[in-house]
Amino acid sequence: MQNVSVRGPEVPRNIEALDPVFTVSDLSVFYGAYEAVRGVDLTIGNREITAMIGPSGCGKSTVLRCFNRMNDLIPGARPAGKIFFHDEDLYGDHVDPIEVRRRIGMVFQKPNPFPKSIYDNIAYGPKVNGMKGKMDSIVEEALIKAALWDEVKDKLKQNALSLSGGQQQRLCIARAIAVKPEVILMDEPCSALDPIATTKIEDLMQELARDYTIVIVTHNMQQAARVSDRTAFFTAEVDDAGERHGRLVEFDETSRIFTNPSDKRTEDYITGRFG
Amino acid sequence: MSVLSTPRSAVRLASKGTPLREHVFRIALLSSLVIALGFLLMLLIYVLEEGWPRIDATLWENMPSIRRPETAGIQSGIIGTLWIIGLTALMALPTGVLAAIYLEEYADRTKWYNRVIELNISNLAAVPSIVYGILGLGIIARWLDFGFTVMTGAITISLLVLPIVIISAREAIRAVPPSIREGSLALGATQWQTIYRQVLPSAVPGIATGSILALSRAIGEAAPFLMLGAATLVRFNPEGVWSSFTVLPLQIYSFISQSREEFHILASAAIVVLLAILLLMNSVAIWLRNRYQKRW
Ligand SMILES: Nc1ncnc2c1ncn2[C@@H]1O[C@H](COP(=O)(O)OP(=O)(O)O)[C@@H](O)[C@H]1O
Ligand SMILES: [Mg+2]
Repeated sequence: MQNVSVRGPEVPRNIEALDPVFTVSDLSVFYGAYEAVRGVDLTIGNREITAMIGPSGCGKSTVLRCFNRMNDLIPGARPAGKIFFHDEDLYGDHVDPIEVRRRIGMVFQKPNPFPKSIYDNIAYGPKVNGMKGKMDSIVEEALIKAALWDEVKDKLKQNALSLSGGQQQRLCIARAIAVKPEVILMDEPCSALDPIATTKIEDLMQELARDYTIVIVTHNMQQAARVSDRTAFFTAEVDDAGERHGRLVEFDETSRIFTNPSDKRTEDYITGRFG
Repeated sequence: MSVLSTPRSAVRLASKGTPLREHVFRIALLSSLVIALGFLLMLLIYVLEEGWPRIDATLWENMPSIRRPETAGIQSGIIGTLWIIGLTALMALPTGVLAAIYLEEYADRTKWYNRVIELNISNLAAVPSIVYGILGLGIIARWLDFGFTVMTGAITISLLVLPIVIISAREAIRAVPPSIREGSLALGATQWQTIYRQVLPSAVPGIATGSILALSRAIGEAAPFLMLGAATLVRFNPEGVWSSFTVLPLQIYSFISQSREEFHILASAAIVVLLAILLLMNSVAIWLRNRYQKRW
Protein backbone atom coordinates (compact mmCIF):
# COMPACT_ATOMS: atom_id res chain seq x y z
CA MET A 1 0.00 0.00 0.00
CA GLN A 2 1.20 3.49 -0.84
CA ASN A 3 2.28 5.85 1.83
CA VAL A 4 -0.48 8.39 1.62
CA SER A 5 -0.31 11.90 2.94
CA VAL A 6 -3.78 13.31 3.15
CA ARG A 7 -4.24 17.07 3.00
CA GLY A 8 -2.68 18.84 5.97
CA PRO A 9 -4.62 20.61 8.73
CA GLU A 10 -3.81 24.08 7.32
CA VAL A 11 -6.90 23.90 5.12
CA PRO A 12 -9.56 22.51 7.42
CA ARG A 13 -12.67 21.75 5.44
CA ASN A 14 -15.41 19.40 6.24
CA ILE A 15 -15.55 16.85 3.48
CA GLU A 16 -18.36 14.88 4.98
CA ALA A 17 -21.21 17.00 3.73
CA LEU A 18 -21.21 16.94 -0.04
CA ASP A 19 -22.64 20.15 -1.42
CA PRO A 20 -22.97 19.32 -5.11
CA VAL A 21 -21.84 21.68 -7.88
CA PHE A 22 -22.03 19.07 -10.61
CA THR A 23 -24.30 16.09 -10.54
CA VAL A 24 -23.51 13.60 -13.27
CA SER A 25 -25.91 10.78 -13.89
CA ASP A 26 -25.54 7.96 -16.38
CA LEU A 27 -23.18 9.98 -18.57
CA SER A 28 -21.92 8.36 -21.74
CA VAL A 29 -19.82 10.22 -24.28
CA PHE A 30 -19.61 9.33 -27.94
CA TYR A 31 -17.06 10.30 -30.55
CA GLY A 32 -19.07 9.59 -33.65
CA ALA A 33 -20.28 6.03 -33.18
CA TYR A 34 -17.58 5.18 -30.65
CA GLU A 35 -18.72 5.23 -27.04
CA ALA A 36 -15.60 6.45 -25.26
CA VAL A 37 -17.14 6.64 -21.79
CA ARG A 38 -20.11 4.67 -20.52
CA GLY A 39 -22.52 5.18 -17.65
CA VAL A 40 -20.72 7.54 -15.29
CA ASP A 41 -22.39 8.70 -12.06
CA LEU A 42 -20.45 11.31 -10.16
CA THR A 43 -20.94 14.26 -7.86
CA ILE A 44 -18.52 17.15 -7.62
CA GLY A 45 -18.62 18.92 -4.28
CA ASN A 46 -18.53 22.67 -3.80
CA ARG A 47 -15.06 24.03 -2.92
CA GLU A 48 -13.59 20.61 -2.95
CA ILE A 49 -10.80 19.20 -5.02
CA THR A 50 -11.98 16.19 -6.93
CA ALA A 51 -9.32 14.10 -8.64
CA MET A 52 -9.93 11.83 -11.60
CA ILE A 53 -7.35 9.09 -11.93
CA GLY A 54 -6.94 6.01 -14.04
CA PRO A 55 -4.87 4.58 -16.87
CA SER A 56 -4.55 6.66 -20.01
CA GLY A 57 -7.33 6.39 -22.55
CA CYS A 58 -9.98 5.61 -19.96
CA GLY A 59 -11.91 8.81 -20.64
CA LYS A 60 -10.82 11.16 -17.86
CA SER A 61 -10.27 14.09 -20.22
CA THR A 62 -13.44 13.27 -22.08
CA VAL A 63 -15.52 13.51 -18.90
CA LEU A 64 -13.68 16.64 -17.75
CA ARG A 65 -14.33 18.38 -21.06
CA CYS A 66 -18.06 17.76 -20.66
CA PHE A 67 -18.11 19.95 -17.56
CA ASN A 68 -17.41 23.13 -19.54
CA ARG A 69 -18.76 21.88 -22.85
CA MET A 70 -15.36 21.95 -24.51
CA ASN A 71 -16.39 18.71 -26.20
CA ASP A 72 -18.87 20.76 -28.23
CA LEU A 73 -15.87 21.90 -30.25
CA ILE A 74 -14.96 18.39 -31.39
CA PRO A 75 -17.02 17.46 -34.43
CA GLY A 76 -18.94 14.28 -33.69
CA ALA A 77 -18.50 14.41 -29.90
CA ARG A 78 -21.82 13.89 -28.16
CA PRO A 79 -22.73 13.29 -24.55
CA ALA A 80 -25.71 11.23 -23.46
CA GLY A 81 -27.09 11.24 -19.95
CA LYS A 82 -27.33 14.21 -17.62
CA ILE A 83 -24.96 16.70 -16.10
CA PHE A 84 -26.45 19.22 -13.75
CA PHE A 85 -24.56 22.36 -12.79
CA HIS A 86 -26.28 23.24 -9.53
CA ASP A 87 -29.85 22.71 -10.62
CA GLU A 88 -29.41 23.58 -14.26
CA ASP A 89 -29.10 21.01 -17.01
CA LEU A 90 -25.69 21.82 -18.52
CA TYR A 91 -26.76 20.52 -21.91
CA GLY A 92 -30.24 22.03 -21.81
CA ASP A 93 -31.52 23.82 -24.91
CA HIS A 94 -31.41 27.29 -23.39
CA VAL A 95 -27.84 26.96 -22.12
CA ASP A 96 -25.19 29.05 -23.86
CA PRO A 97 -21.86 27.14 -23.94
CA ILE A 98 -19.97 30.47 -24.02
CA GLU A 99 -21.50 31.43 -20.68
CA VAL A 100 -20.79 27.92 -19.34
CA ARG A 101 -17.11 28.31 -20.19
CA ARG A 102 -16.93 31.68 -18.52
CA ARG A 103 -18.24 30.24 -15.27
CA ILE A 104 -16.26 27.04 -15.51
CA GLY A 105 -12.63 27.70 -16.32
CA MET A 106 -10.10 25.27 -17.66
CA VAL A 107 -6.35 24.73 -17.43
CA PHE A 108 -4.72 22.44 -19.98
CA GLN A 109 -2.03 19.82 -19.91
CA LYS A 110 0.52 21.87 -21.81
CA PRO A 111 0.73 25.50 -20.67
CA ASN A 112 -0.85 27.50 -23.50
CA PRO A 113 -0.33 31.21 -22.84
CA PHE A 114 -1.25 33.49 -25.73
CA PRO A 115 1.75 34.90 -27.61
CA LYS A 116 1.14 38.27 -25.97
CA SER A 117 2.32 40.14 -22.90
CA ILE A 118 1.71 38.75 -19.42
CA TYR A 119 -0.72 41.61 -18.81
CA ASP A 120 -2.67 40.99 -22.02
CA ASN A 121 -2.91 37.28 -21.27
CA ILE A 122 -4.79 38.04 -18.06
CA ALA A 123 -6.78 40.96 -19.46
CA TYR A 124 -8.04 38.96 -22.44
CA GLY A 125 -10.73 37.00 -20.62
CA PRO A 126 -12.25 39.97 -18.76
CA LYS A 127 -12.17 41.97 -22.02
CA VAL A 128 -13.99 39.46 -24.18
CA ASN A 129 -16.53 38.96 -21.42
CA GLY A 130 -17.11 42.70 -21.13
CA MET A 131 -16.26 42.72 -17.43
CA LYS A 132 -16.48 46.05 -15.67
CA GLY A 133 -13.84 47.40 -13.33
CA LYS A 134 -10.29 48.67 -13.51
CA MET A 135 -8.28 46.29 -15.65
CA ASP A 136 -5.03 46.94 -13.76
CA SER A 137 -6.54 45.76 -10.51
CA ILE A 138 -8.26 42.78 -12.14
CA VAL A 139 -4.89 41.69 -13.52
CA GLU A 140 -3.08 42.24 -10.25
CA GLU A 141 -5.69 40.37 -8.24
CA ALA A 142 -5.62 37.37 -10.58
CA LEU A 143 -1.83 37.22 -10.51
CA ILE A 144 -1.75 37.46 -6.73
CA LYS A 145 -4.29 34.67 -6.41
CA ALA A 146 -2.22 32.50 -8.75
CA ALA A 147 0.90 33.17 -6.64
CA LEU A 148 2.67 34.70 -9.61
CA TRP A 149 2.51 38.40 -8.85
CA ASP A 150 5.85 38.71 -7.06
CA GLU A 151 7.65 37.01 -9.91
CA VAL A 152 6.15 39.05 -12.74
CA LYS A 153 5.06 42.41 -11.33
CA ASP A 154 8.07 44.16 -12.86
CA LYS A 155 7.66 42.65 -16.30
CA LEU A 156 3.97 42.69 -17.06
CA LYS A 157 4.66 43.96 -20.58
CA GLN A 158 7.01 41.09 -21.33
CA ASN A 159 5.93 38.29 -23.62
CA ALA A 160 4.32 35.45 -21.67
CA LEU A 161 6.28 32.91 -23.68
CA SER A 162 9.47 34.11 -22.00
CA LEU A 163 8.29 32.66 -18.68
CA SER A 164 9.32 29.21 -17.48
CA GLY A 165 6.94 26.29 -17.95
CA GLY A 166 5.77 26.39 -14.34
CA GLN A 167 5.24 30.14 -14.47
CA GLN A 168 3.36 29.77 -17.73
CA GLN A 169 1.03 27.25 -16.14
CA ARG A 170 0.39 29.53 -13.17
CA LEU A 171 -0.25 32.32 -15.68
CA CYS A 172 -2.86 30.09 -17.30
CA ILE A 173 -4.43 29.57 -13.88
CA ALA A 174 -4.38 33.32 -13.30
CA ARG A 175 -5.95 33.83 -16.71
CA ALA A 176 -8.74 31.43 -15.77
CA ILE A 177 -9.26 33.11 -12.40
CA ALA A 178 -9.47 36.57 -13.96
CA VAL A 179 -12.93 35.91 -15.41
CA LYS A 180 -14.15 35.00 -11.91
CA PRO A 181 -15.26 31.44 -12.55
CA GLU A 182 -16.85 29.20 -9.98
CA VAL A 183 -15.10 26.03 -11.05
CA ILE A 184 -11.62 25.38 -12.40
CA LEU A 185 -11.06 22.23 -14.42
CA MET A 186 -7.46 21.05 -14.75
CA ASP A 187 -6.38 18.40 -17.21
CA GLU A 188 -3.04 16.98 -16.04
CA PRO A 189 -1.80 20.50 -15.28
CA CYS A 190 1.58 19.32 -14.00
CA SER A 191 2.47 16.62 -16.46
CA ALA A 192 4.73 18.94 -18.45
CA LEU A 193 6.38 20.45 -15.37
CA ASP A 194 9.37 19.65 -13.19
CA PRO A 195 8.88 18.54 -9.54
CA ILE A 196 9.46 21.99 -8.05
CA ALA A 197 6.99 23.67 -10.37
CA THR A 198 4.58 20.81 -9.66
CA THR A 199 4.80 21.41 -5.92
CA LYS A 200 4.04 25.09 -6.46
CA ILE A 201 0.94 24.29 -8.50
CA GLU A 202 -0.21 21.76 -5.91
CA ASP A 203 0.18 24.31 -3.12
CA LEU A 204 -1.70 26.79 -5.27
CA MET A 205 -4.55 24.35 -5.77
CA GLN A 206 -4.89 23.91 -2.01
CA GLU A 207 -5.04 27.67 -1.70
CA LEU A 208 -7.58 28.08 -4.50
CA ALA A 209 -9.88 25.40 -3.09
CA ARG A 210 -10.97 27.92 -0.44
CA ASP A 211 -12.80 29.89 -3.13
CA TYR A 212 -13.18 27.56 -6.07
CA THR A 213 -14.38 24.11 -6.91
CA ILE A 214 -11.54 22.23 -8.57
CA VAL A 215 -11.63 19.12 -10.70
CA ILE A 216 -8.24 17.75 -11.62
CA VAL A 217 -7.32 14.95 -13.97
CA THR A 218 -3.99 13.41 -13.08
CA HIS A 219 -2.09 10.30 -13.96
CA ASN A 220 -0.03 10.81 -10.85
CA MET A 221 -1.60 8.94 -7.94
CA GLN A 222 0.58 10.60 -5.34
CA GLN A 223 -0.66 13.94 -6.60
CA ALA A 224 -4.28 12.84 -6.28
CA ALA A 225 -3.54 11.59 -2.79
CA ARG A 226 -1.75 14.80 -1.80
CA VAL A 227 -4.22 17.37 -3.04
CA SER A 228 -7.69 15.98 -3.45
CA ASP A 229 -10.67 15.54 -1.16
CA ARG A 230 -12.39 12.99 -3.32
CA THR A 231 -11.09 10.71 -5.99
CA ALA A 232 -12.81 9.12 -8.95
CA PHE A 233 -11.04 6.08 -10.34
CA PHE A 234 -11.69 5.32 -14.00
CA THR A 235 -10.63 2.38 -16.04
CA ALA A 236 -11.23 1.05 -19.53
CA GLU A 237 -13.28 -2.07 -20.00
CA VAL A 238 -13.55 -4.19 -23.11
CA ASP A 239 -17.13 -5.20 -23.90
CA ASP A 240 -18.37 -8.32 -25.68
CA ALA A 241 -17.95 -6.65 -29.09
CA GLY A 242 -14.29 -5.99 -28.29
CA GLU A 243 -14.71 -2.22 -27.90
CA ARG A 244 -13.02 -0.31 -25.08
CA HIS A 245 -15.16 1.95 -22.96
CA GLY A 246 -14.12 4.16 -20.10
CA ARG A 247 -15.93 3.31 -16.86
CA LEU A 248 -16.02 4.89 -13.47
CA VAL A 249 -14.97 2.15 -11.06
CA GLU A 250 -15.08 3.87 -7.74
CA PHE A 251 -15.72 7.32 -6.36
CA ASP A 252 -15.06 8.11 -2.74
CA GLU A 253 -13.18 10.25 -0.29
CA THR A 254 -9.54 10.26 -1.26
CA SER A 255 -8.38 8.82 2.05
CA ARG A 256 -10.74 5.90 1.63
CA ILE A 257 -9.73 5.28 -1.99
CA PHE A 258 -6.07 5.13 -1.03
CA THR A 259 -6.34 3.20 2.21
CA ASN A 260 -9.41 1.07 1.94
CA PRO A 261 -10.79 0.89 -1.61
CA SER A 262 -13.91 -1.17 -1.99
CA ASP A 263 -13.17 -2.36 -5.52
CA LYS A 264 -10.41 -4.84 -6.28
CA ARG A 265 -9.46 -2.97 -9.50
CA THR A 266 -8.91 0.25 -7.59
CA GLU A 267 -6.69 -1.53 -5.14
CA ASP A 268 -4.69 -3.15 -7.94
CA TYR A 269 -4.24 0.18 -9.66
CA ILE A 270 -3.12 2.19 -6.66
CA THR A 271 -0.77 -0.51 -5.49
CA GLY A 272 0.78 -0.54 -8.94
CA ARG A 273 -0.31 -4.03 -9.91
CA PHE A 274 -2.23 -2.69 -12.88
CA GLY A 275 -1.97 0.11 -15.49
CA MET B 1 34.87 4.38 -14.74
CA SER B 2 33.17 5.50 -17.90
CA VAL B 3 32.58 3.18 -20.79
CA LEU B 4 33.93 5.63 -23.30
CA SER B 5 37.41 5.56 -21.84
CA THR B 6 37.92 1.87 -22.48
CA PRO B 7 40.05 1.28 -25.56
CA ARG B 8 37.54 -1.05 -27.14
CA SER B 9 34.78 1.47 -27.50
CA ALA B 10 37.22 4.18 -28.52
CA VAL B 11 38.03 2.09 -31.54
CA ARG B 12 34.36 1.62 -32.31
CA LEU B 13 33.63 5.32 -32.18
CA ALA B 14 36.55 6.35 -34.37
CA SER B 15 35.76 8.00 -37.70
CA LYS B 16 35.88 5.75 -40.73
CA GLY B 17 36.07 8.74 -43.07
CA THR B 18 33.23 10.00 -45.25
CA PRO B 19 32.15 7.39 -47.77
CA LEU B 20 32.46 8.19 -51.46
CA ARG B 21 28.69 8.06 -51.94
CA GLU B 22 28.27 10.98 -49.56
CA HIS B 23 30.70 13.08 -51.57
CA VAL B 24 29.02 12.29 -54.88
CA PHE B 25 25.64 13.16 -53.48
CA ARG B 26 26.85 16.45 -52.07
CA ILE B 27 28.47 17.44 -55.37
CA ALA B 28 25.26 16.62 -57.25
CA LEU B 29 23.27 18.84 -54.91
CA LEU B 30 25.72 21.67 -55.16
CA SER B 31 25.88 21.60 -58.94
CA SER B 32 22.09 21.74 -59.23
CA LEU B 33 22.17 24.86 -57.14
CA VAL B 34 24.98 26.35 -59.21
CA ILE B 35 23.11 25.71 -62.47
CA ALA B 36 19.92 27.32 -61.17
CA LEU B 37 21.64 30.35 -59.72
CA GLY B 38 24.04 30.59 -62.64
CA PHE B 39 21.27 31.03 -65.17
CA LEU B 40 19.58 33.64 -63.03
CA LEU B 41 22.85 35.50 -62.66
CA MET B 42 23.54 35.38 -66.40
CA LEU B 43 20.11 36.77 -67.12
CA LEU B 44 20.59 39.55 -64.61
CA ILE B 45 24.01 40.49 -65.94
CA TYR B 46 22.69 40.44 -69.48
CA VAL B 47 19.76 42.80 -68.88
CA LEU B 48 21.79 45.04 -66.61
CA GLU B 49 24.54 45.36 -69.16
CA GLU B 50 22.19 46.04 -72.05
CA GLY B 51 19.84 48.31 -70.14
CA TRP B 52 22.49 50.19 -68.17
CA PRO B 53 22.79 53.25 -70.49
CA ARG B 54 19.05 53.89 -70.16
CA ILE B 55 18.70 53.46 -66.38
CA ASP B 56 18.43 57.14 -65.58
CA ALA B 57 15.93 59.79 -64.61
CA THR B 58 14.34 60.04 -68.07
CA LEU B 59 13.20 56.44 -67.75
CA TRP B 60 10.96 57.49 -64.90
CA GLU B 61 10.18 61.04 -66.07
CA ASN B 62 9.11 60.34 -69.64
CA MET B 63 6.24 58.56 -71.26
CA PRO B 64 6.78 55.81 -73.81
CA SER B 65 7.14 56.93 -77.37
CA ILE B 66 7.36 55.19 -80.72
CA ARG B 67 9.31 57.95 -82.43
CA ARG B 68 12.00 58.75 -79.86
CA PRO B 69 13.15 55.54 -78.16
CA GLU B 70 16.37 57.19 -76.98
CA THR B 71 14.47 59.50 -74.61
CA ALA B 72 11.28 57.46 -74.11
CA GLY B 73 10.42 56.46 -70.57
CA ILE B 74 8.12 53.97 -68.86
CA GLN B 75 6.28 56.17 -66.39
CA SER B 76 2.81 55.15 -67.48
CA GLY B 77 3.79 51.49 -67.16
CA ILE B 78 5.16 51.88 -63.64
CA ILE B 79 2.16 53.89 -62.48
CA GLY B 80 -0.22 51.50 -64.23
CA THR B 81 1.40 48.51 -62.53
CA LEU B 82 1.13 50.22 -59.14
CA TRP B 83 -2.56 50.96 -59.73
CA ILE B 84 -3.30 47.39 -60.69
CA ILE B 85 -1.37 45.92 -57.77
CA GLY B 86 -2.85 48.39 -55.27
CA LEU B 87 -6.41 47.77 -56.38
CA THR B 88 -5.83 44.02 -56.56
CA ALA B 89 -4.51 44.06 -52.99
CA LEU B 90 -7.60 45.97 -51.87
CA MET B 91 -9.94 43.47 -53.47
CA ALA B 92 -8.17 40.12 -53.30
CA LEU B 93 -6.61 40.25 -49.82
CA PRO B 94 -9.76 40.77 -47.72
CA THR B 95 -11.74 38.34 -49.86
CA GLY B 96 -8.98 35.75 -49.76
CA VAL B 97 -8.43 36.02 -46.01
CA LEU B 98 -12.16 35.80 -45.25
CA ALA B 99 -12.48 32.77 -47.52
CA ALA B 100 -9.51 31.17 -45.77
CA ILE B 101 -11.07 31.84 -42.35
CA TYR B 102 -14.29 30.21 -43.49
CA LEU B 103 -12.51 27.15 -44.81
CA GLU B 104 -10.22 26.72 -41.79
CA GLU B 105 -12.45 27.71 -38.91
CA TYR B 106 -16.06 27.23 -39.95
CA ALA B 107 -16.36 24.79 -42.83
CA ASP B 108 -17.49 21.32 -41.85
CA ARG B 109 -15.19 19.07 -43.83
CA THR B 110 -17.67 16.24 -43.81
CA LYS B 111 -20.02 18.26 -46.05
CA TRP B 112 -19.61 17.56 -49.75
CA TYR B 113 -19.86 21.21 -50.85
CA ASN B 114 -16.95 22.24 -48.65
CA ARG B 115 -14.81 19.50 -50.13
CA VAL B 116 -15.79 20.60 -53.65
CA ILE B 117 -14.77 24.18 -52.80
CA GLU B 118 -11.44 23.03 -51.38
CA LEU B 119 -10.63 20.89 -54.39
CA ASN B 120 -11.54 23.66 -56.81
CA ILE B 121 -9.38 26.25 -55.12
CA SER B 122 -6.35 24.04 -55.60
CA ASN B 123 -7.36 23.52 -59.22
CA LEU B 124 -7.88 27.24 -59.81
CA ALA B 125 -4.36 27.97 -58.59
CA ALA B 126 -3.06 25.88 -61.46
CA VAL B 127 -5.16 27.48 -64.23
CA PRO B 128 -2.93 29.33 -66.76
CA SER B 129 -3.14 33.09 -66.44
CA ILE B 130 -4.27 33.56 -70.04
CA VAL B 131 -7.49 31.76 -69.17
CA TYR B 132 -8.17 34.42 -66.57
CA GLY B 133 -7.58 36.96 -69.34
CA ILE B 134 -10.29 35.33 -71.45
CA LEU B 135 -12.61 35.33 -68.43
CA GLY B 136 -11.89 39.01 -67.77
CA LEU B 137 -12.46 39.92 -71.39
CA GLY B 138 -15.69 37.97 -71.74
CA ILE B 139 -17.33 38.74 -68.44
CA ILE B 140 -15.84 41.90 -67.01
CA ALA B 141 -14.81 43.94 -70.02
CA ARG B 142 -17.67 42.98 -72.36
CA TRP B 143 -20.61 41.54 -70.43
CA LEU B 144 -20.35 43.88 -67.43
CA ASP B 145 -19.20 46.52 -69.91
CA PHE B 146 -16.29 47.72 -67.76
CA GLY B 147 -14.18 48.15 -70.89
CA PHE B 148 -10.39 48.03 -70.94
CA THR B 149 -9.96 49.87 -67.68
CA VAL B 150 -7.86 49.64 -64.54
CA MET B 151 -10.92 48.14 -62.85
CA THR B 152 -11.20 45.34 -65.38
CA GLY B 153 -7.49 44.60 -65.10
CA ALA B 154 -7.52 44.63 -61.31
CA ILE B 155 -10.59 42.37 -61.06
CA THR B 156 -9.01 39.92 -63.49
CA ILE B 157 -5.72 39.89 -61.59
CA SER B 158 -7.62 39.56 -58.30
CA LEU B 159 -9.28 36.41 -59.59
CA LEU B 160 -5.86 35.19 -60.70
CA VAL B 161 -4.17 35.66 -57.31
CA LEU B 162 -7.17 34.80 -55.14
CA PRO B 163 -6.54 31.03 -55.03
CA ILE B 164 -2.92 31.61 -54.05
CA VAL B 165 -3.92 34.12 -51.38
CA ILE B 166 -6.51 31.70 -50.00
CA ILE B 167 -4.10 28.79 -49.94
CA SER B 168 -1.31 30.72 -48.23
CA ALA B 169 -3.69 32.36 -45.74
CA ARG B 170 -5.09 28.94 -44.88
CA GLU B 171 -1.62 27.66 -44.22
CA ALA B 172 -0.87 30.62 -41.96
CA ILE B 173 -4.14 30.13 -40.06
CA ARG B 174 -3.53 26.41 -39.73
CA ALA B 175 -0.09 27.08 -38.29
CA VAL B 176 -1.67 28.77 -35.24
CA PRO B 177 -1.70 25.95 -32.66
CA PRO B 178 -5.13 24.62 -31.64
CA SER B 179 -4.12 25.14 -28.00
CA ILE B 180 -4.40 28.91 -28.57
CA ARG B 181 -7.98 28.54 -29.79
CA GLU B 182 -8.82 26.20 -26.89
CA GLY B 183 -7.31 28.61 -24.39
CA SER B 184 -9.39 31.45 -25.74
CA LEU B 185 -12.65 29.51 -25.99
CA ALA B 186 -12.18 28.09 -22.51
CA LEU B 187 -12.24 31.66 -21.17
CA GLY B 188 -15.70 32.22 -22.58
CA ALA B 189 -14.63 33.96 -25.78
CA THR B 190 -16.89 33.46 -28.78
CA GLN B 191 -15.57 31.81 -31.91
CA TRP B 192 -15.37 35.11 -33.75
CA GLN B 193 -13.56 36.78 -30.81
CA THR B 194 -11.12 33.90 -30.81
CA ILE B 195 -10.47 34.23 -34.52
CA TYR B 196 -10.28 38.00 -34.54
CA ARG B 197 -8.20 38.52 -31.41
CA GLN B 198 -6.03 35.41 -31.26
CA VAL B 199 -5.86 33.48 -34.51
CA LEU B 200 -5.64 36.35 -36.98
CA PRO B 201 -2.98 38.40 -35.14
CA SER B 202 -0.84 35.28 -34.90
CA ALA B 203 -1.41 34.48 -38.57
CA VAL B 204 -0.86 37.99 -39.95
CA PRO B 205 2.86 37.61 -40.70
CA GLY B 206 2.23 34.41 -42.61
CA ILE B 207 -0.75 35.89 -44.43
CA ALA B 208 1.25 39.00 -45.34
CA THR B 209 4.17 36.98 -46.63
CA GLY B 210 1.95 34.77 -48.78
CA SER B 211 -0.01 37.74 -50.09
CA ILE B 212 3.08 39.67 -51.11
CA LEU B 213 4.45 36.66 -52.94
CA ALA B 214 1.09 36.21 -54.70
CA LEU B 215 1.01 39.86 -55.71
CA SER B 216 4.58 39.79 -56.91
CA ARG B 217 3.65 36.94 -59.18
CA ALA B 218 0.86 39.07 -60.59
CA ILE B 219 3.24 41.95 -61.29
CA GLY B 220 5.09 39.93 -63.88
CA GLU B 221 1.94 38.88 -65.75
CA ALA B 222 1.51 40.05 -69.35
CA ALA B 223 -0.73 37.37 -70.80
CA PRO B 224 -4.05 38.29 -69.19
CA PHE B 225 -3.54 41.95 -70.07
CA LEU B 226 -2.78 41.05 -73.67
CA MET B 227 -5.99 39.08 -73.72
CA LEU B 228 -7.92 41.98 -72.23
CA GLY B 229 -6.58 44.13 -75.02
CA ALA B 230 -4.91 46.72 -72.83
CA ALA B 231 -3.20 49.18 -75.13
CA THR B 232 0.53 48.59 -75.42
CA LEU B 233 1.45 52.22 -75.93
CA VAL B 234 -0.25 54.46 -73.42
CA ARG B 235 1.16 57.95 -73.13
CA PHE B 236 -0.69 58.97 -69.98
CA ASN B 237 -1.08 57.73 -66.41
CA PRO B 238 -4.41 56.31 -65.23
CA GLU B 239 -6.53 58.98 -63.56
CA GLY B 240 -8.81 56.58 -61.79
CA VAL B 241 -10.17 53.08 -61.87
CA TRP B 242 -12.15 53.76 -65.06
CA SER B 243 -9.13 55.00 -66.97
CA SER B 244 -7.32 52.94 -69.59
CA PHE B 245 -3.82 51.85 -68.69
CA THR B 246 -0.76 49.80 -69.44
CA VAL B 247 1.54 47.75 -67.21
CA LEU B 248 5.29 47.21 -67.26
CA PRO B 249 5.32 43.68 -68.73
CA LEU B 250 3.10 44.85 -71.61
CA GLN B 251 5.34 47.83 -72.19
CA ILE B 252 8.39 45.60 -72.26
CA TYR B 253 6.62 43.30 -74.69
CA SER B 254 5.80 46.16 -77.04
CA PHE B 255 9.35 47.56 -76.91
CA ILE B 256 10.87 44.21 -77.72
CA SER B 257 8.62 43.73 -80.74
CA GLN B 258 10.04 46.92 -82.27
CA SER B 259 12.98 46.45 -84.63
CA ARG B 260 15.20 49.40 -83.61
CA GLU B 261 18.07 48.60 -81.26
CA GLU B 262 17.25 51.54 -78.94
CA PHE B 263 13.96 49.88 -78.08
CA HIS B 264 15.73 46.72 -76.97
CA ILE B 265 17.94 48.74 -74.67
CA LEU B 266 14.84 50.47 -73.34
CA ALA B 267 13.18 47.08 -72.80
CA SER B 268 16.19 45.86 -70.80
CA ALA B 269 16.07 48.97 -68.64
CA ALA B 270 12.36 48.36 -68.03
CA ILE B 271 13.09 44.74 -67.11
CA VAL B 272 15.63 45.95 -64.56
CA VAL B 273 12.95 48.21 -63.04
CA LEU B 274 10.44 45.34 -62.95
CA LEU B 275 12.98 43.04 -61.32
CA ALA B 276 13.83 45.72 -58.79
CA ILE B 277 10.16 46.04 -57.80
CA LEU B 278 9.87 42.26 -57.50
CA LEU B 279 13.05 42.02 -55.45
CA LEU B 280 11.84 44.76 -53.15
CA MET B 281 8.49 43.03 -52.56
CA ASN B 282 10.12 39.68 -51.91
CA SER B 283 12.57 41.25 -49.46
CA VAL B 284 9.68 42.79 -47.58
CA ALA B 285 8.05 39.35 -47.45
CA ILE B 286 11.22 37.73 -46.11
CA TRP B 287 11.74 40.51 -43.62
CA LEU B 288 8.16 40.16 -42.36
CA ARG B 289 8.58 36.44 -42.02
CA ASN B 290 11.77 36.71 -39.98
CA ARG B 291 10.63 39.66 -37.94
CA TYR B 292 7.40 38.10 -36.73
CA GLN B 293 8.36 34.45 -36.72
CA LYS B 294 6.45 32.96 -33.82
CA ARG B 295 7.76 30.40 -31.44
CA TRP B 296 5.27 28.45 -29.41
N1 LIG C 1 -11.37 13.83 -30.36
C1 LIG C 1 -11.52 12.50 -30.26
N2 LIG C 1 -12.04 11.79 -31.27
C2 LIG C 1 -12.19 10.44 -31.18
N3 LIG C 1 -11.85 9.72 -30.11
C3 LIG C 1 -11.33 10.37 -29.06
C4 LIG C 1 -11.13 11.79 -29.07
N4 LIG C 1 -10.58 12.16 -27.90
C5 LIG C 1 -10.44 11.02 -27.18
N5 LIG C 1 -10.89 9.95 -27.87
C6 LIG C 1 -10.92 8.55 -27.41
O1 LIG C 1 -11.66 8.47 -26.23
C7 LIG C 1 -11.03 7.63 -25.28
C8 LIG C 1 -10.78 8.39 -24.00
O2 LIG C 1 -9.83 9.40 -24.24
P1 LIG C 1 -9.41 10.48 -23.16
O3 LIG C 1 -10.62 11.06 -22.58
O4 LIG C 1 -8.46 11.41 -23.80
O5 LIG C 1 -8.66 9.57 -22.09
P2 LIG C 1 -7.71 10.00 -20.88
O6 LIG C 1 -7.79 11.47 -20.70
O7 LIG C 1 -8.23 9.22 -19.71
O8 LIG C 1 -6.34 9.53 -21.24
C9 LIG C 1 -9.77 7.12 -25.93
O9 LIG C 1 -10.02 5.84 -26.43
C10 LIG C 1 -9.53 8.08 -27.05
O10 LIG C 1 -8.92 7.43 -28.13
MG1 LIG D 1 -6.28 12.94 -20.90
